[in-house]
Amino acid sequence: MPQLEVRNLTKRYGRTVAVDDLSFTVEAGRVTGFLGPNGAGKTTTMRALLGLLRPSSGEALVEGSSPVQMSDPLATIGAALEATAFHPGRSGRNHLRTLAAAARIPATRVEEVLEMVELSGAADRRVKGYSLGMRQRLALAAALLGEPRILILDEPANGLDPQGMRWLRDLLRSQAAEGRTVLVSSHVLSEVAQTADELVVIRGGKLVSQTSLEDFTAATGRIRVRAAKLDELGEGIAELGGKVTAEDGALLVEGLGGEQIGELALCRGIALHELSPQQSSLEDRFLEVMDEGEASP
Amino acid sequence: MSLLRSEWIKLWTTRTTWVMIGIGLLIEALFAGLYVGLASLEDIGEIDEVATGTGLLLVLMLVLGVLTITTEFRHGTASSTFLASPKRYPALLAKLAAALLVGALAGLAFFAVNGGLALPLLDGREGHLPGAGHIVSIYAGVVVSMALICGFGFGVGAIVRNQVGAIIAAIAFFFILSPLPELLPGNIGDYFPAQSIGSLQGLHSDTEGGLGQIAGGFVLSAWVAGLALLGTLLICRRDVSD
Repeated sequence: MPQLEVRNLTKRYGRTVAVDDLSFTVEAGRVTGFLGPNGAGKTTTMRALLGLLRPSSGEALVEGSSPVQMSDPLATIGAALEATAFHPGRSGRNHLRTLAAAARIPATRVEEVLEMVELSGAADRRVKGYSLGMRQRLALAAALLGEPRILILDEPANGLDPQGMRWLRDLLRSQAAEGRTVLVSSHVLSEVAQTADELVVIRGGKLVSQTSLEDFTAATGRIRVRAAKLDELGEGIAELGGKVTAEDGALLVEGLGGEQIGELALCRGIALHELSPQQSSLEDRFLEVMDEGEASP
Repeated sequence: MSLLRSEWIKLWTTRTTWVMIGIGLLIEALFAGLYVGLASLEDIGEIDEVATGTGLLLVLMLVLGVLTITTEFRHGTASSTFLASPKRYPALLAKLAAALLVGALAGLAFFAVNGGLALPLLDGREGHLPGAGHIVSIYAGVVVSMALICGFGFGVGAIVRNQVGAIIAAIAFFFILSPLPELLPGNIGDYFPAQSIGSLQGLHSDTEGGLGQIAGGFVLSAWVAGLALLGTLLICRRDVSD
Protein backbone atom coordinates (compact mmCIF):
# COMPACT_ATOMS: atom_id res chain seq x y z
CA MET A 1 0.00 0.00 0.00
CA PRO A 2 1.42 3.40 -0.89
CA GLN A 3 1.93 5.68 2.10
CA LEU A 4 0.46 8.61 0.26
CA GLU A 5 -1.93 8.39 -2.62
CA VAL A 6 -3.58 11.06 -4.69
CA ARG A 7 -6.43 9.63 -6.72
CA ASN A 8 -8.10 11.69 -9.45
CA LEU A 9 -7.71 14.74 -7.27
CA THR A 10 -9.36 17.89 -8.58
CA LYS A 11 -9.51 21.18 -6.76
CA ARG A 12 -11.33 24.18 -8.19
CA TYR A 13 -11.41 27.68 -6.81
CA GLY A 14 -14.32 29.28 -8.58
CA ARG A 15 -13.48 28.90 -12.25
CA THR A 16 -9.79 28.33 -11.66
CA VAL A 17 -8.68 24.72 -11.63
CA ALA A 18 -5.71 24.42 -9.27
CA VAL A 19 -5.38 20.65 -9.47
CA ASP A 20 -6.85 18.73 -12.38
CA ASP A 21 -7.55 15.00 -12.11
CA LEU A 22 -4.16 14.33 -10.55
CA SER A 23 -3.10 10.82 -9.52
CA PHE A 24 0.18 9.60 -8.07
CA THR A 25 1.53 7.54 -5.22
CA VAL A 26 4.36 8.01 -2.76
CA GLU A 27 6.14 5.02 -1.25
CA ALA A 28 7.93 4.56 2.04
CA GLY A 29 11.71 4.46 2.35
CA ARG A 30 12.45 6.95 -0.38
CA VAL A 31 12.60 10.65 -0.92
CA THR A 32 10.03 11.74 -3.46
CA GLY A 33 10.63 15.09 -5.10
CA PHE A 34 7.51 17.02 -6.04
CA LEU A 35 8.34 19.29 -8.94
CA GLY A 36 6.48 21.85 -10.93
CA PRO A 37 6.62 25.51 -11.81
CA ASN A 38 4.99 28.09 -9.55
CA GLY A 39 1.23 27.72 -9.57
CA ALA A 40 1.38 24.10 -10.72
CA GLY A 41 -0.74 23.00 -7.75
CA LYS A 42 1.99 21.54 -5.51
CA THR A 43 0.91 23.32 -2.35
CA THR A 44 -2.77 22.65 -3.02
CA THR A 45 -2.03 18.95 -3.45
CA MET A 46 0.01 18.86 -0.24
CA ARG A 47 -2.74 20.63 1.68
CA ALA A 48 -5.24 18.09 0.42
CA LEU A 49 -2.97 15.28 1.66
CA LEU A 50 -2.91 16.97 5.05
CA GLY A 51 -6.68 17.24 5.25
CA LEU A 52 -6.51 21.03 5.25
CA LEU A 53 -8.63 21.42 2.17
CA ARG A 54 -11.35 19.29 0.73
CA PRO A 55 -11.02 18.12 -2.86
CA SER A 56 -13.65 19.22 -5.37
CA SER A 57 -13.52 15.61 -6.50
CA GLY A 58 -11.22 12.63 -6.14
CA GLU A 59 -9.33 11.92 -2.96
CA ALA A 60 -6.05 12.28 -1.13
CA LEU A 61 -5.20 9.31 1.07
CA VAL A 62 -2.75 8.82 3.91
CA GLU A 63 -1.88 5.20 4.65
CA GLY A 64 -4.97 4.23 2.72
CA SER A 65 -7.50 6.44 4.45
CA SER A 66 -8.62 10.04 4.65
CA PRO A 67 -6.16 12.32 6.45
CA VAL A 68 -9.06 13.66 8.53
CA GLN A 69 -9.41 10.20 10.10
CA MET A 70 -5.84 9.96 11.42
CA SER A 71 -5.92 8.75 15.01
CA ASP A 72 -2.44 9.91 16.02
CA PRO A 73 -1.87 12.72 13.51
CA LEU A 74 1.55 14.03 14.52
CA ALA A 75 3.00 10.51 14.69
CA THR A 76 1.58 9.85 11.22
CA ILE A 77 2.42 13.01 9.30
CA GLY A 78 4.78 15.83 10.01
CA ALA A 79 4.45 18.80 7.72
CA ALA A 80 6.32 22.01 7.08
CA LEU A 81 4.19 24.16 4.81
CA GLU A 82 5.27 27.77 4.97
CA ALA A 83 8.09 29.29 6.89
CA THR A 84 5.89 32.22 7.78
CA ALA A 85 3.17 30.36 9.65
CA PHE A 86 4.10 31.33 13.18
CA HIS A 87 2.73 33.84 15.64
CA PRO A 88 5.45 36.51 15.48
CA GLY A 89 5.15 37.26 19.18
CA ARG A 90 5.65 33.69 20.37
CA SER A 91 9.07 32.13 20.89
CA GLY A 92 10.18 29.15 18.85
CA ARG A 93 10.23 26.92 21.89
CA ASN A 94 6.72 27.94 22.91
CA HIS A 95 5.43 27.31 19.40
CA LEU A 96 6.71 23.76 19.65
CA ARG A 97 5.34 23.43 23.19
CA THR A 98 1.80 24.19 22.00
CA LEU A 99 2.07 21.45 19.36
CA ALA A 100 3.68 19.00 21.77
CA ALA A 101 0.92 19.59 24.32
CA ALA A 102 -1.78 18.95 21.72
CA ALA A 103 -0.25 15.60 20.76
CA ARG A 104 0.84 14.55 24.28
CA ILE A 105 4.48 14.67 23.23
CA PRO A 106 6.89 15.05 26.17
CA ALA A 107 8.70 18.36 26.62
CA THR A 108 12.05 16.56 26.24
CA ARG A 109 11.20 15.91 22.60
CA VAL A 110 10.82 19.67 22.06
CA GLU A 111 14.41 20.10 23.24
CA GLU A 112 15.52 17.21 21.03
CA VAL A 113 14.11 18.68 17.83
CA LEU A 114 15.40 22.15 18.71
CA GLU A 115 18.81 20.53 19.03
CA MET A 116 18.37 18.68 15.72
CA VAL A 117 17.62 21.85 13.78
CA GLU A 118 20.29 23.78 15.70
CA LEU A 119 17.86 26.31 17.06
CA SER A 120 18.36 25.73 20.80
CA GLY A 121 20.24 28.97 21.22
CA ALA A 122 17.48 31.09 19.69
CA ALA A 123 14.55 29.07 21.06
CA ASP A 124 13.47 31.68 23.59
CA ARG A 125 13.53 34.56 21.17
CA ARG A 126 10.32 35.65 19.58
CA VAL A 127 9.85 34.38 16.03
CA LYS A 128 9.50 37.99 14.87
CA GLY A 129 13.29 38.27 15.07
CA TYR A 130 14.07 35.05 13.18
CA SER A 131 15.65 35.00 9.74
CA LEU A 132 13.93 33.09 6.95
CA GLY A 133 16.39 30.24 7.43
CA MET A 134 15.62 30.07 11.16
CA ARG A 135 11.88 30.02 10.48
CA GLN A 136 12.45 27.27 7.95
CA ARG A 137 14.31 25.24 10.56
CA LEU A 138 11.60 25.88 13.15
CA ALA A 139 9.03 24.61 10.65
CA LEU A 140 11.14 21.49 10.18
CA ALA A 141 11.43 21.04 13.94
CA ALA A 142 7.64 21.17 14.16
CA ALA A 143 7.37 18.58 11.38
CA LEU A 144 9.79 16.22 13.15
CA LEU A 145 8.20 16.68 16.58
CA GLY A 146 6.00 13.59 16.54
CA GLU A 147 8.63 11.33 14.89
CA PRO A 148 6.18 10.92 12.01
CA ARG A 149 6.14 8.04 9.55
CA ILE A 150 5.50 10.51 6.75
CA LEU A 151 7.08 13.90 6.12
CA ILE A 152 5.49 16.45 3.80
CA LEU A 153 7.69 19.46 3.21
CA ASP A 154 6.81 22.39 0.98
CA GLU A 155 9.91 24.14 -0.35
CA PRO A 156 11.97 23.40 2.77
CA ALA A 157 15.20 24.58 1.17
CA ASN A 158 13.96 28.14 0.74
CA GLY A 159 16.08 30.55 2.70
CA LEU A 160 18.61 27.95 3.85
CA ASP A 161 22.30 28.70 3.47
CA PRO A 162 24.54 26.13 1.73
CA GLN A 163 25.33 24.45 5.06
CA GLY A 164 21.64 24.34 5.86
CA MET A 165 20.92 22.78 2.47
CA ARG A 166 23.53 20.13 3.13
CA TRP A 167 22.05 19.48 6.53
CA LEU A 168 18.53 19.25 5.08
CA ARG A 169 19.69 16.81 2.42
CA ASP A 170 21.30 14.55 5.01
CA LEU A 171 18.19 14.77 7.16
CA LEU A 172 15.86 13.75 4.33
CA ARG A 173 18.16 10.91 3.27
CA SER A 174 18.38 9.56 6.81
CA GLN A 175 14.63 9.84 7.34
CA ALA A 176 14.07 7.81 4.17
CA ALA A 177 16.76 5.34 5.17
CA GLU A 178 14.85 4.73 8.40
CA GLY A 179 11.93 3.63 6.26
CA ARG A 180 9.95 6.85 6.51
CA THR A 181 8.11 8.45 3.63
CA VAL A 182 9.36 11.81 2.45
CA LEU A 183 7.51 14.04 -0.01
CA VAL A 184 9.35 17.26 -0.66
CA SER A 185 8.40 19.97 -3.10
CA SER A 186 11.00 22.23 -4.54
CA HIS A 187 11.82 24.45 -7.41
CA VAL A 188 15.52 24.27 -6.58
CA LEU A 189 16.14 21.49 -9.07
CA SER A 190 19.76 20.83 -8.21
CA GLU A 191 18.68 20.21 -4.62
CA VAL A 192 16.13 17.66 -5.73
CA ALA A 193 18.67 16.02 -8.02
CA GLN A 194 20.93 15.35 -5.06
CA THR A 195 18.23 14.18 -2.71
CA ALA A 196 15.30 12.52 -4.43
CA ASP A 197 14.91 8.89 -5.49
CA GLU A 198 11.54 9.43 -7.10
CA LEU A 199 10.05 12.34 -8.95
CA VAL A 200 6.50 13.49 -9.34
CA VAL A 201 6.33 16.29 -11.88
CA ILE A 202 3.17 18.31 -12.32
CA ARG A 203 2.23 21.22 -14.48
CA GLY A 204 -1.00 23.20 -14.59
CA GLY A 205 -2.44 20.88 -11.95
CA LYS A 206 -1.86 17.81 -14.13
CA LEU A 207 0.63 14.99 -13.80
CA VAL A 208 3.51 15.25 -16.24
CA SER A 209 5.41 12.23 -15.05
CA GLN A 210 6.11 10.00 -12.10
CA THR A 211 9.40 8.16 -12.43
CA SER A 212 12.60 7.44 -10.61
CA LEU A 213 15.24 10.12 -10.82
CA GLU A 214 17.45 7.90 -13.03
CA ASP A 215 14.70 7.28 -15.54
CA PHE A 216 13.82 10.94 -15.64
CA THR A 217 17.34 11.99 -16.47
CA ALA A 218 18.04 8.82 -18.48
CA ALA A 219 20.61 8.66 -21.24
CA THR A 220 19.92 11.04 -24.05
CA GLY A 221 21.66 8.88 -26.65
CA ARG A 222 24.34 11.56 -27.07
CA ILE A 223 27.99 10.71 -26.60
CA ARG A 224 30.72 13.23 -25.97
CA VAL A 225 33.98 12.46 -27.72
CA ARG A 226 37.41 14.01 -27.42
CA ALA A 227 40.36 12.66 -29.36
CA ALA A 228 43.79 13.55 -30.75
CA LYS A 229 42.68 14.04 -34.34
CA LEU A 230 39.18 15.23 -33.74
CA ASP A 231 38.39 16.38 -37.26
CA GLU A 232 39.48 13.12 -38.83
CA LEU A 233 37.49 11.09 -36.32
CA GLY A 234 34.48 13.34 -36.95
CA GLU A 235 34.62 12.62 -40.66
CA GLY A 236 34.80 8.89 -39.98
CA ILE A 237 31.81 9.06 -37.67
CA ALA A 238 29.82 10.97 -40.27
CA GLU A 239 30.70 8.31 -42.88
CA LEU A 240 29.28 5.66 -40.58
CA GLY A 241 26.03 7.63 -40.37
CA GLY A 242 26.52 9.35 -37.03
CA LYS A 243 25.33 12.90 -36.50
CA VAL A 244 28.14 15.12 -35.27
CA THR A 245 28.08 18.52 -33.61
CA ALA A 246 31.18 20.29 -32.42
CA GLU A 247 31.28 21.57 -28.87
CA ASP A 248 34.29 23.42 -27.43
CA GLY A 249 37.07 20.99 -28.25
CA ALA A 250 34.84 17.94 -28.31
CA LEU A 251 32.21 16.30 -30.49
CA LEU A 252 28.68 15.39 -29.56
CA VAL A 253 27.65 12.30 -31.45
CA GLU A 254 24.16 11.02 -32.00
CA GLY A 255 23.14 7.83 -33.75
CA LEU A 256 26.28 5.79 -33.00
CA GLY A 257 27.12 3.68 -29.97
CA GLY A 258 30.25 4.07 -27.86
CA GLU A 259 31.60 0.71 -29.12
CA GLN A 260 31.41 1.77 -32.77
CA ILE A 261 33.16 5.05 -32.10
CA GLY A 262 35.89 3.29 -30.10
CA GLU A 263 36.50 0.70 -32.79
CA LEU A 264 36.57 3.38 -35.48
CA ALA A 265 39.22 5.28 -33.52
CA LEU A 266 41.29 2.11 -33.12
CA CYS A 267 41.12 1.33 -36.87
CA ARG A 268 42.29 4.80 -37.76
CA GLY A 269 44.90 4.87 -35.06
CA ILE A 270 43.46 7.89 -33.30
CA ALA A 271 43.97 8.18 -29.54
CA LEU A 272 40.68 8.70 -27.69
CA HIS A 273 40.73 11.16 -24.80
CA GLU A 274 37.11 10.96 -23.79
CA LEU A 275 34.07 8.86 -24.68
CA SER A 276 31.19 9.61 -22.35
CA PRO A 277 27.45 9.00 -22.71
CA GLN A 278 25.61 12.19 -21.82
CA GLN A 279 23.04 12.30 -19.03
CA SER A 280 20.71 15.21 -19.34
CA SER A 281 20.72 17.32 -16.23
CA LEU A 282 17.51 17.36 -14.21
CA GLU A 283 17.13 20.98 -15.09
CA ASP A 284 17.38 20.34 -18.84
CA ARG A 285 14.92 17.49 -18.61
CA PHE A 286 12.58 19.50 -16.44
CA LEU A 287 12.49 22.40 -18.88
CA GLU A 288 12.16 19.95 -21.76
CA VAL A 289 9.20 18.24 -20.12
CA MET A 290 7.60 21.58 -19.34
CA ASP A 291 7.97 22.57 -23.02
CA GLU A 292 6.40 19.31 -24.13
CA GLY A 293 3.52 20.05 -21.81
CA GLU A 294 3.23 23.47 -23.37
CA ALA A 295 3.09 22.01 -26.88
CA SER A 296 0.38 19.47 -26.09
CA PRO A 297 -1.98 21.00 -23.59
CA MET B 1 -7.66 17.83 27.71
CA SER B 2 -4.39 17.84 25.80
CA LEU B 3 -5.89 20.22 23.25
CA LEU B 4 -7.12 22.50 26.03
CA ARG B 5 -3.62 22.50 27.49
CA SER B 6 -2.26 23.45 24.09
CA GLU B 7 -4.74 26.33 23.81
CA TRP B 8 -3.93 27.45 27.33
CA ILE B 9 -0.22 27.58 26.50
CA LYS B 10 -1.03 29.55 23.33
CA LEU B 11 -2.93 32.12 25.38
CA TRP B 12 -0.13 32.82 27.79
CA THR B 13 2.87 32.68 25.45
CA THR B 14 2.14 35.89 23.61
CA ARG B 15 2.00 39.28 25.26
CA THR B 16 -1.55 39.99 24.09
CA THR B 17 -3.33 38.20 26.91
CA TRP B 18 -1.10 39.69 29.61
CA VAL B 19 -1.35 43.20 28.22
CA MET B 20 -5.11 43.13 27.73
CA ILE B 21 -5.91 41.76 31.15
CA GLY B 22 -3.24 43.97 32.74
CA ILE B 23 -4.53 47.18 31.20
CA GLY B 24 -8.13 46.20 31.89
CA LEU B 25 -7.40 45.53 35.56
CA LEU B 26 -5.38 48.70 35.95
CA ILE B 27 -8.20 50.90 34.62
CA GLU B 28 -10.76 49.00 36.66
CA ALA B 29 -8.63 49.46 39.78
CA LEU B 30 -8.33 53.19 39.14
CA PHE B 31 -12.07 53.42 38.61
CA ALA B 32 -12.99 51.44 41.73
CA GLY B 33 -10.45 53.25 43.90
CA LEU B 34 -10.99 56.79 42.69
CA TYR B 35 -14.73 56.68 42.16
CA VAL B 36 -15.61 55.00 45.41
CA GLY B 37 -12.96 56.94 47.27
CA LEU B 38 -13.79 60.39 45.97
CA ALA B 39 -17.33 60.58 44.57
CA SER B 40 -20.16 61.64 46.83
CA LEU B 41 -22.05 58.81 48.46
CA GLU B 42 -25.28 59.86 46.70
CA ASP B 43 -23.56 59.59 43.34
CA ILE B 44 -22.20 56.16 44.14
CA GLY B 45 -25.58 54.87 45.28
CA GLU B 46 -25.77 51.10 45.23
CA ILE B 47 -22.66 48.90 45.15
CA ASP B 48 -24.28 47.17 42.13
CA GLU B 49 -23.32 50.09 39.92
CA VAL B 50 -19.70 49.99 41.07
CA ALA B 51 -19.29 46.21 41.03
CA THR B 52 -19.80 45.93 37.30
CA GLY B 53 -16.83 48.20 36.70
CA THR B 54 -16.32 50.49 33.72
CA GLY B 55 -17.08 47.85 31.15
CA LEU B 56 -13.57 48.22 29.68
CA LEU B 57 -12.39 44.81 30.88
CA LEU B 58 -15.59 43.37 29.48
CA VAL B 59 -14.87 44.85 26.05
CA LEU B 60 -11.26 43.64 26.24
CA MET B 61 -12.44 40.12 27.06
CA LEU B 62 -14.75 40.22 24.04
CA VAL B 63 -11.77 41.20 21.87
CA LEU B 64 -9.50 38.58 23.48
CA GLY B 65 -12.13 35.96 22.68
CA VAL B 66 -12.12 37.06 19.05
CA LEU B 67 -8.31 36.92 18.97
CA THR B 68 -8.14 33.33 20.28
CA ILE B 69 -9.30 32.15 16.87
CA THR B 70 -8.55 34.96 14.40
CA THR B 71 -4.80 35.06 15.18
CA GLU B 72 -4.61 31.47 13.97
CA PHE B 73 -5.83 32.51 10.54
CA ARG B 74 -3.99 35.79 10.53
CA HIS B 75 -0.61 34.21 11.19
CA GLY B 76 -1.23 30.91 9.45
CA THR B 77 -0.92 28.82 12.60
CA ALA B 78 -4.35 27.32 11.89
CA SER B 79 -2.61 24.80 9.64
CA SER B 80 -0.43 23.39 12.40
CA THR B 81 -3.29 23.51 14.89
CA PHE B 82 -5.49 21.47 12.60
CA LEU B 83 -2.68 19.10 11.66
CA ALA B 84 -2.61 18.14 15.32
CA SER B 85 -6.41 17.86 15.32
CA PRO B 86 -7.49 16.95 11.78
CA LYS B 87 -11.18 16.76 12.63
CA ARG B 88 -10.86 20.39 13.74
CA TYR B 89 -13.87 20.53 16.05
CA PRO B 90 -11.98 19.10 19.05
CA ALA B 91 -9.40 21.89 18.71
CA LEU B 92 -12.17 24.47 18.35
CA LEU B 93 -14.01 23.10 21.38
CA ALA B 94 -10.75 23.35 23.32
CA LYS B 95 -10.39 26.92 22.13
CA LEU B 96 -13.90 27.80 23.31
CA ALA B 97 -13.15 26.21 26.68
CA ALA B 98 -9.89 28.15 26.92
CA ALA B 99 -11.73 31.39 26.07
CA LEU B 100 -14.35 30.75 28.75
CA LEU B 101 -11.63 29.91 31.25
CA VAL B 102 -9.48 32.94 30.57
CA GLY B 103 -12.59 35.14 30.74
CA ALA B 104 -13.54 33.63 34.09
CA LEU B 105 -9.99 34.09 35.32
CA ALA B 106 -10.06 37.75 34.29
CA GLY B 107 -13.43 38.00 36.05
CA LEU B 108 -11.96 36.60 39.26
CA ALA B 109 -9.04 39.00 39.03
CA PHE B 110 -11.56 41.78 38.47
CA PHE B 111 -13.41 40.68 41.57
CA ALA B 112 -10.18 40.78 43.59
CA VAL B 113 -9.37 44.28 42.33
CA ASN B 114 -12.82 45.83 42.29
CA GLY B 115 -14.15 44.12 45.40
CA GLY B 116 -10.85 44.55 47.21
CA LEU B 117 -10.96 48.31 46.69
CA ALA B 118 -14.64 49.24 46.48
CA LEU B 119 -16.01 47.22 49.37
CA PRO B 120 -13.62 48.40 52.12
CA LEU B 121 -13.66 51.97 50.80
CA LEU B 122 -17.43 52.12 50.76
CA ASP B 123 -17.61 50.47 54.15
CA GLY B 124 -15.04 52.93 55.52
CA ARG B 125 -17.09 55.86 54.27
CA GLU B 126 -20.16 54.35 55.86
CA GLY B 127 -21.90 54.03 52.52
CA HIS B 128 -24.72 51.60 51.94
CA LEU B 129 -23.61 47.98 51.63
CA PRO B 130 -26.14 45.25 50.88
CA GLY B 131 -25.95 41.79 52.48
CA ALA B 132 -23.14 39.38 51.70
CA GLY B 133 -25.41 37.14 49.65
CA HIS B 134 -26.30 39.98 47.33
CA ILE B 135 -22.67 41.01 46.93
CA VAL B 136 -21.64 37.44 46.10
CA SER B 137 -24.36 37.10 43.50
CA ILE B 138 -23.39 40.41 41.85
CA TYR B 139 -19.73 39.46 41.55
CA ALA B 140 -20.57 35.91 40.49
CA GLY B 141 -22.64 37.43 37.71
CA VAL B 142 -19.70 39.59 36.67
CA VAL B 143 -17.28 36.63 36.62
CA VAL B 144 -19.67 34.55 34.52
CA SER B 145 -20.33 37.45 32.16
CA MET B 146 -16.57 37.92 31.57
CA ALA B 147 -16.29 34.23 30.74
CA LEU B 148 -19.31 34.25 28.44
CA ILE B 149 -18.37 37.42 26.58
CA CYS B 150 -14.96 35.91 25.85
CA GLY B 151 -16.72 32.83 24.47
CA PHE B 152 -19.00 35.16 22.50
CA GLY B 153 -15.90 36.73 20.94
CA PHE B 154 -14.59 33.29 20.00
CA GLY B 155 -17.89 32.52 18.25
CA VAL B 156 -17.88 35.72 16.22
CA GLY B 157 -14.17 35.26 15.41
CA ALA B 158 -14.76 31.71 14.20
CA ILE B 159 -17.54 32.89 11.89
CA VAL B 160 -15.79 35.97 10.52
CA ARG B 161 -12.15 34.74 10.67
CA ASN B 162 -10.70 38.06 9.49
CA GLN B 163 -9.19 39.66 12.59
CA VAL B 164 -10.12 43.29 12.12
CA GLY B 165 -13.50 42.43 10.66
CA ALA B 166 -14.29 40.10 13.53
CA ILE B 167 -13.31 42.62 16.22
CA ILE B 168 -15.48 45.28 14.62
CA ALA B 169 -18.33 42.83 14.09
CA ALA B 170 -18.20 41.57 17.69
CA ILE B 171 -18.13 45.03 19.25
CA ALA B 172 -20.71 46.47 16.88
CA PHE B 173 -23.08 43.57 17.36
CA PHE B 174 -22.71 43.30 21.12
CA PHE B 175 -22.64 46.93 22.13
CA ILE B 176 -24.39 48.79 19.31
CA LEU B 177 -26.85 46.49 17.56
CA SER B 178 -27.93 44.12 20.28
CA PRO B 179 -29.16 46.89 22.66
CA LEU B 180 -31.49 48.18 19.91
CA PRO B 181 -34.27 45.59 20.32
CA GLU B 182 -34.78 47.05 23.82
CA LEU B 183 -36.54 49.88 22.09
CA LEU B 184 -39.13 47.53 20.66
CA PRO B 185 -42.37 47.00 22.55
CA GLY B 186 -42.57 43.84 24.60
CA ASN B 187 -39.62 42.07 26.16
CA ILE B 188 -37.91 40.79 23.02
CA GLY B 189 -34.86 42.91 23.91
CA ASP B 190 -34.23 40.76 27.00
CA TYR B 191 -33.18 37.94 24.76
CA PHE B 192 -30.37 39.85 23.05
CA PRO B 193 -26.77 39.81 24.35
CA ALA B 194 -26.57 43.36 25.69
CA GLN B 195 -29.67 43.03 27.85
CA SER B 196 -28.93 39.48 28.91
CA ILE B 197 -25.47 40.40 30.17
CA GLY B 198 -27.09 43.19 32.18
CA SER B 199 -29.52 40.68 33.64
CA LEU B 200 -26.67 38.30 34.39
CA GLN B 201 -24.85 41.04 36.28
CA GLY B 202 -27.97 41.64 38.34
CA LEU B 203 -28.71 45.05 36.91
CA HIS B 204 -32.30 44.27 36.07
CA SER B 205 -33.31 42.20 39.04
CA ASP B 206 -35.45 44.91 40.59
CA THR B 207 -36.50 46.84 37.52
CA GLU B 208 -39.69 45.86 35.78
CA GLY B 209 -39.42 43.43 32.90
CA GLY B 210 -35.80 42.24 32.59
CA LEU B 211 -34.69 38.71 33.31
CA GLY B 212 -33.20 37.47 36.54
CA GLN B 213 -29.49 36.66 36.83
CA ILE B 214 -29.87 32.95 36.15
CA ALA B 215 -32.18 33.44 33.19
CA GLY B 216 -29.91 36.17 31.79
CA GLY B 217 -26.98 33.78 32.10
CA PHE B 218 -28.84 31.11 30.19
CA VAL B 219 -29.79 33.51 27.42
CA LEU B 220 -26.21 34.71 26.99
CA SER B 221 -24.93 31.11 27.15
CA ALA B 222 -27.33 30.20 24.37
CA TRP B 223 -25.91 33.00 22.22
CA VAL B 224 -22.37 31.82 22.90
CA ALA B 225 -23.26 28.20 22.15
CA GLY B 226 -25.11 29.15 18.97
CA LEU B 227 -22.31 31.35 17.60
CA ALA B 228 -19.59 28.88 18.57
CA LEU B 229 -21.51 26.04 16.93
CA LEU B 230 -22.01 28.00 13.73
CA GLY B 231 -18.36 29.10 13.69
CA THR B 232 -17.17 25.54 14.31
CA LEU B 233 -19.34 24.14 11.52
CA LEU B 234 -18.06 26.78 9.12
CA ILE B 235 -14.39 26.19 9.98
CA CYS B 236 -14.83 22.41 9.70
CA ARG B 237 -16.26 22.86 6.21
CA ARG B 238 -13.98 25.56 4.88
CA ASP B 239 -10.51 25.03 3.46
CA VAL B 240 -7.55 26.10 5.55
CA SER B 241 -5.37 27.77 3.00
CA ASP B 242 -3.78 30.57 4.97
